[in-house]
This record gives sequence, structure tokens and C-alpha cells, in this order.
Amino acid sequence: MTVTSPVAPAPISLRRNFWRGVGRVLRRKPSRMVGVAIVVLFVFMGVFGPLLYPNPLPRDDNALYASPSWAHPFGTDFEGTDVLALVVTGTRYVLLAGLATAVITVALGTLIGLLAGFHRGRWDTVLMRLTDLQLTIPGLPLLLVLSTVWKFTSPIEMGVVLGLLGWGGIARAVRSQSLSLRERGFIEAAKGLGLPTRHIVVRELLPSMAPYIAMNMLIAVTGAIYAQVGLFFLGVLPFDANNWGVMLNLSVFGGGALSSTAALPYLLAPLLAILLLTLGIVLVVDAMDEIFNPRLREE
Amino acid sequence: MKTVVRRLSGHLLRGLAMIWVVTTLSFVIIRNIPGDPVRGQYEKLIEQGMSPDQAERSTAALYGFLPTGSLWDQYTDYLNGLLHGNLGQSLSTPGTGVATLIGSAAKWTILPVLGGTLLSFLLGVTLGVYAAIKRSGKLGDALAISGSLLHGIPQYVIGLLVVAVFSTLWPILPAGGPVDIDFAPGFNGPYIASLIQHATLPVLTYALASYGGWILAMKSSVATVLGDDFIMAAELRGMSRGILFRYIARNAILPLFTILALSLGLLFGGAIFIESIFNYPGLGLLLVNSIGARDYALMGGTFLVLTVAIVVANIAADLLYAVIDPRVRKGAEA
Amino acid sequence: MTRTSAPGVRVKDLTVVYKTPAGELPALGGVSLSLAPGTITGIVGESGSGKSTLALSLLNAVQPPGRIKEGVVEIDGLGDVVKLTGEELRRARGRQVGYVFQAAQNSLNPLKTVGKQLLDLGRSHDFDDLPALLKDARALLGRMGLDGGRVLDSYQHELSGGMRQRVGIMFALVLNAHLVVLDEPTTALDMITQAAILKIVRDVHHERGLTTLIITHDMGVAAEVTDSLAVMYGGRVVEHGPTTEVLGSPRHPYTKGLIRAIPRLSGDIDEARALPGRPPTLGTIPKQGCVFRERCPLRIAVCDTVDPEPITRDARTVACHAVGRLATPVVPKEYV
Repeated sequence: MTVTSPVAPAPISLRRNFWRGVGRVLRRKPSRMVGVAIVVLFVFMGVFGPLLYPNPLPRDDNALYASPSWAHPFGTDFEGTDVLALVVTGTRYVLLAGLATAVITVALGTLIGLLAGFHRGRWDTVLMRLTDLQLTIPGLPLLLVLSTVWKFTSPIEMGVVLGLLGWGGIARAVRSQSLSLRERGFIEAAKGLGLPTRHIVVRELLPSMAPYIAMNMLIAVTGAIYAQVGLFFLGVLPFDANNWGVMLNLSVFGGGALSSTAALPYLLAPLLAILLLTLGIVLVVDAMDEIFNPRLREE
Repeated sequence: MKTVVRRLSGHLLRGLAMIWVVTTLSFVIIRNIPGDPVRGQYEKLIEQGMSPDQAERSTAALYGFLPTGSLWDQYTDYLNGLLHGNLGQSLSTPGTGVATLIGSAAKWTILPVLGGTLLSFLLGVTLGVYAAIKRSGKLGDALAISGSLLHGIPQYVIGLLVVAVFSTLWPILPAGGPVDIDFAPGFNGPYIASLIQHATLPVLTYALASYGGWILAMKSSVATVLGDDFIMAAELRGMSRGILFRYIARNAILPLFTILALSLGLLFGGAIFIESIFNYPGLGLLLVNSIGARDYALMGGTFLVLTVAIVVANIAADLLYAVIDPRVRKGAEA
Repeated sequence: MTRTSAPGVRVKDLTVVYKTPAGELPALGGVSLSLAPGTITGIVGESGSGKSTLALSLLNAVQPPGRIKEGVVEIDGLGDVVKLTGEELRRARGRQVGYVFQAAQNSLNPLKTVGKQLLDLGRSHDFDDLPALLKDARALLGRMGLDGGRVLDSYQHELSGGMRQRVGIMFALVLNAHLVVLDEPTTALDMITQAAILKIVRDVHHERGLTTLIITHDMGVAAEVTDSLAVMYGGRVVEHGPTTEVLGSPRHPYTKGLIRAIPRLSGDIDEARALPGRPPTLGTIPKQGCVFRERCPLRIAVCDTVDPEPITRDARTVACHAVGRLATPVVPKEYV
């Protein structure tokens, strides 16, 4: 097995093959195209959504809790604001916080997992104890308690906290991956060739784990979205931010969406958004699984 | 036996370390809440005409440490109080100890969580076996897909949809509170019927929220066992179908028991959403309400209890494993 | 209907195919072989030659995606095993044909003691007298040098590799099966344990009057215990005859190559010559002609197109055009 291939043309043709592979995997199951389309739609809403509507959103005092109509596809809320507009403009916070969480989760998790897996011994023990601790601390209650000192007004702040509370799973997985690579003689072979540690980690270990990490990142995004929307839903955070969770909270605890059918569309719109985004991400993960896992591709 | 004791003591040590981390965290957070509620309470009592001495004692009873004094003294006071089982006094329900409130909330969490989890465990495990055996069939496929979808949806979404369907659109079951207040509490028919009615939707939500995970876990576990050599060996020895099935089931379910014990612990935290939606007066709702009411002693106490539940679940899972897996029981490496 | 005497086995034109993305590929291409009652027959060959598939065929237990496409496996007292299904087949397994596993290291349920699994076996085969079954098992284990009572109370993880293998043999014999198939019974065991196990196999074979089939890739094992020896290559039996003759004067070029490849403890290592080329895999077995021709020193024109028929002469069967030419054929096929 060659360790490095410094020849320039090879990576280019490899990349082209990769994209062709992606195209083939997507075409094989149309549902995956749908998944990609959904994710793209939400990203679009997150980037351009707030630009599509005036700020603040218009209210219509004559149409409180209006039923769905052409003008308001999901009806209006308690102050006559279009529910669809609320969902669209709320996407940015949700996605930004999700993205920030994913970046931190993956960065921390990968770093700690690699350190533990690579430097066996005492380092490993200490880091894994830390990981165990992170994994067993009840996350949601801790978030609630934290919300008394931290208000999470910016999505990035929210992402940082969620990320700090969620790296344990990836750390453990990355560690076991690097251990199994180690077992296969991967690292020993590279060491035997006299390659420096940094080279081994960056060039040999990371690439073989990248697909795995990427998938975990997407899963972390969904987890983060659920957690932040949930926090807003519980009403323990101030409602400065426009968020799907705020809509859920106001519709359930304020609008009585659960006792009367009038406010039901107001409740269902954010739920639908969550379900749709989940579906999109699940389908994309499924496609990634096949792209990166040649064994699944065969058959 | 020796290894079991060693494992157990390791778990206990780790559990204690975790409880220590959590209590320290609670302490730090309570001390750092904007506006310093401890100091605020002390000053409020003085304004109400209490002597500084009295005010100090009364505040200490609330939070478990003196409002004056150094941070370190406060911290050691707090830990000392906890060691003696003193969780402090509730602010929002004056005159009631935090421990009492937690104790009365616990039963509303434990029973539905237990019921819902066991229900989904049984259902998920049974269907998971089916999904693994009929892997290539249509029904097996459908089961697996339903499992991953349900597994991916957050609890509160499931809860809200359950309420929307069974209580709002098609009102057949109540969705608020643990019981109708019209009935006198006690062991009488209408009261119990009302209890059950009110518990149905929360339990259903717990069950739906975890059922997907069980299907997926059992399916992959059965698939692994089916590939094991000893199953083929048993088949070639002409073991009867019933015995073969028992061999597969028992080996496949083994790893799930650990997850079961662990998930029971975690569900106490997860109860937060479901109890909020159904206005069910368990530990989760207690935590949310304590934050809303700025009752920080109650908040710290509930958080601690939820953590202890996870630690206990961890230890229980390990003991359970030792009981059902002879490889662990006799202390040998598998 | 338990037989008390050793059964004979006749395999005729057995073809087993495996379903792959490239279509159905043959793992056994029309194998014929017979085991004489009361003998120990060995099957040797490289990995992938189809020996384990053949062994599993004796119990009609070829695992999906494989299946028996055609052929007959006739066992005295059972009839054609290929035609058995359902309960009938299940009852034949264990009761009439004992099977000792290639991976006997892991052939026990890790969650139950050996004794409990033995009782499961007894109940599966409707044994009324379970205490007698336990007594038989203890005696068999004792016969193999183990403390029977202790072993029955043990879990798999408490037994060593050699002990597990003996337990596997006990399971194959305890129901009084008179046909025993051992698939690589000594692989993964150390030399001392290997020798002990082989001695047990031979002794029990004679004591109980069994018909025994041993699959192995180890020529030494084959030489030590078998009466007759079949050599397999690419899903075919290329040579079959009394062990001493097959090893002493091999006829098929593949058998010759195999024997030449064995390094001798007391000889020069350079004398051992590896067979050139590689054994075929499922996908690379030639569709027509002799499967061995790519590696054969005696290759002639006809080898490219015609698969050589097995030809039997003085109790020895060889499937080779070059060898067949040299001798005058007497019987065109084994067991007509």
C-alpha cells in the first residue's frame, strides 16, 4: 500500500469520480434527491428568509388566529402575524445555532477522541473519564439550569453551549475508530516509515475517518435543533429571538392550541418545519452513508 | 465475585464524582445568577424587619449556606448540608422542604416513565425480532423505516402531535393534569379510572418516543446473533425451532437490558418535555416551574435528584448485566 | 430408527451453487464420492476448494446464498438427504449425522452451561430418559480425558479450546449418530492438543463403529487418521483412493504438487516446492475444461475444452486427461 500520492493529476480525477459517485447514489433512490432539496430549501430560508419579509413582521388586528387562506397558508398567530412568515424568518436562528453546535461538537469530539486514541495510556484514561462524565450528565436539565445565568440571545452562544454539552459521543466514536485503525497496523506502518506524528494524524487518520465525522456532524445538527427549539418551547429563555420553539410555546401555553382547534395551524406549522428538516437530514445521511461506505454501494 | 465488587466500587466512585461535579455546578450557578438571589433574599428579610441574625439563618435554611461569608465557606456549608440530606427549603411553596416537594413529584414521573418504557421495550423488541428475520420483506422494511423515523423525531414533537390528535381534533382523552379534581383521592373506582385516563397519553408518548430506538437496536442485535457460529451449530445439531428461537432471543436481548436500565435514568430528564406538555406534576415539570418561579434551591435539588437517577441507573445496568450474563458473573473475559 | 451399524454414504453428481451479483457460481461442480461403511475418509484441499460445502451438503445444510442445485446424497438408513425437509431433516441432524464444527471454539451458546444445552438437545430429539443422556455425555467426556461432571456445569468461556473441541465431539456422538462429519476439527489448536483430539477421533471411531468424514487442509492430519483420502480442487474431487496409496504414489498432478509442497521436519526446506499459481475462487473457476489446467505441468490440448471424468482403476479414482491417457480405463465412473 502506498502511503502518500504526491502526484498531482490523481486527486483531480478522484474528485471527479467522487462527484459522479454522488450523482449516481442520489439518482438511485429519488427520495435522496428530495432530502437534498429539503435541506437546500431550509438553507435558502435561513440565508434569505429574513430579507423576504419586513422587520418587524406586519400584524393584522382584524385577523387574530385566522384560518389558513391564500394570504396566510398557515393562518395567523395571536397578534395577526402570518405564521408562514414566522417559520421562514425563524429558520436563521435555528440553523445558525445548529451549525455552530455541530462545528464545536465535531471539533472538540474529534480532537479529544484522536488524542485519546493516539496517545493510549494515562491521557487516554483521563480523557475517557471526562467523556464519560460529559455523557452521563443529564444534558437537558443542565441546559435548563444554565438558562438561569445565560440568556442565549445570539444563536452562536446557544451553539457554543450545546456544543460543549454534546461532544462526548463523537469523542468516543473517534477514539474507537482510531483504535481499530491502530489495530490494523495503520499507525505502526506509518511510524515505521518515519513519518511525523502530525502527518500520521492529519494525512492518515483523519481522511479515513472524515466521512464518519461528517455524518456525525449532520446528526449533531439535528440534535442541536431539537434541543434549542425545545428550550424555547419550555419557555425558560426570553423571547427576544424569533425561533420555532417560541412559536410552539406561545401556541401551546399562550394560545391554547391544545384545547381549541383555532390555533392548531399555528402549532402545526413549526412542528411541520421540524419534521421536514429531520426528514431531509435523515435522507441526506442515508445517501452519505452509501457514498462513503463502498460495501453498501456494491449490491 | 471479586470482580463484581471491584466493578461496583468503580461505578460508585465514578457516580460520586459525578454527583460532586453536579452539586458544584449547581452551587456555582446559583451563586452567579444575575442579581444574586441569596443576597437579595437576605436583604429583603432585613427590610421586612428581621434582625440580621434571623435573616441570615432563614436564608441559610432556604439555600443551604449563609448569605454572608466567603465563597469557600458557603461552598463547604452547602456540601455539608447535602451530605446530611438537607436540600434546603422551597421559596415558591413557603414552609415546605425541597426534599418533600421532590418526593411527592417523583411518583408522577416514575410510574408513567416506567410504564411507557416497558411498553415500548416489549413492543420494540418483539417487532425488532420480526424486522430482523424478515429483513428483505416489505413489512420488515416498513418496520425498520418507521423505527428510524420515530427514533429521529424529538419527544416534544411526538407529544404535541399526540395531544393534537387525541385531545384536540378527536377529543377522547384528557391532556392536562394527573387526575380530575372532582374525585376524592383514595382507593376508589372513579379516582383510579381518572388517573388511568390522564396517564394514557403521557405513557403513549413515552412509548412512541422510545419505541423506534428499541426496534432498531433489537433488529441489529438479532442480525448479529443470527450470524454467530453457535446458532448454526445448534441448527446442525437438530435443535428444535422453539429452543433455537430462545437461544437467539436471549443472546440478542442481553445488550438491550443495559440500554433499558440506562434509558430509564435518562428518561427522568426527558420527562421535562412530556410533563410540561401534559401539565403532569412530576420532576421535570418541577424543574421547569422552579426556574420560572426563581426558586433556586428547588432547582438545584431537582437537578441533583435527576443526576442521582442516572448514576443509580448506571449502577443498576451494570449489576443487571452481571446477573444475566454468565461471562461477567464469573468474572472472566468473554 | 437408530442404526447400530455404520452407514455408507454415496454422493452423486452433487452441484452446489452460490448466488452472487455475477449470477449463480458453482462451488461444487458435480461431485461424486462414496464413503465405505466403517471407514475414516479424509478430504483435503486448499481453502475455497469446496470441502466445507461438501461437508455441509451431507446434512443438507448449505447456507444461503448457496443452494444444492442437483445431485444425490444417499445415506444408509436416511435415503436421499437432499430431498429431506422440515422436521424430518431436523431430526436427522444430530440424531443420525453428527457434525463437529469448523469453528467449534464458538459452537456453544455462551449463556447456558454445557449440561443445559445437552438437555435442550435431548428434548429437541424427544429423549425421554434425560438422566441417561447426561450419563452418556459424562462417560464420553471421561473417555476423552475430561471431568464430565465439571464440564457439564461449565459455560463455554470456562473451557479451553481443546476442551471445547472435545465437547463439540461429545455433542456429535451423544445421540448415538453413526455418521460423523468433522470439519477442520484441529484447526486453531496447538500441536499437543491436536494430536490428542486426533487420537480420540480414531479411538471413538473404532469403539463405536462409525463412518467418519474428516475435512482438513493439513496433509499430516489426513495421513495420520484416515483410511481413504479424497483430494478436492476447484469444486471437484480430483483424486480419491486408500490414503497410503494416494500419499505414496499420487497420480493427479495436483495431488503430486500438494505433497511436494509439504516441508519435512527432517529434510531441507528447499525441497518443499510451492505449487505455482493460485487456487481458483468462486468467480475464477473456468466454465469449461479442466479446473486445474492453469497450474498443471501436464496440460494438453483437450484440457482447455473438456472437464476430465473421474476414472476408477484398482480402487483409485483420478480425474485427469493426462493421467487417463497413460492408463487403460476399466470403469468409466465411480459407483455406477
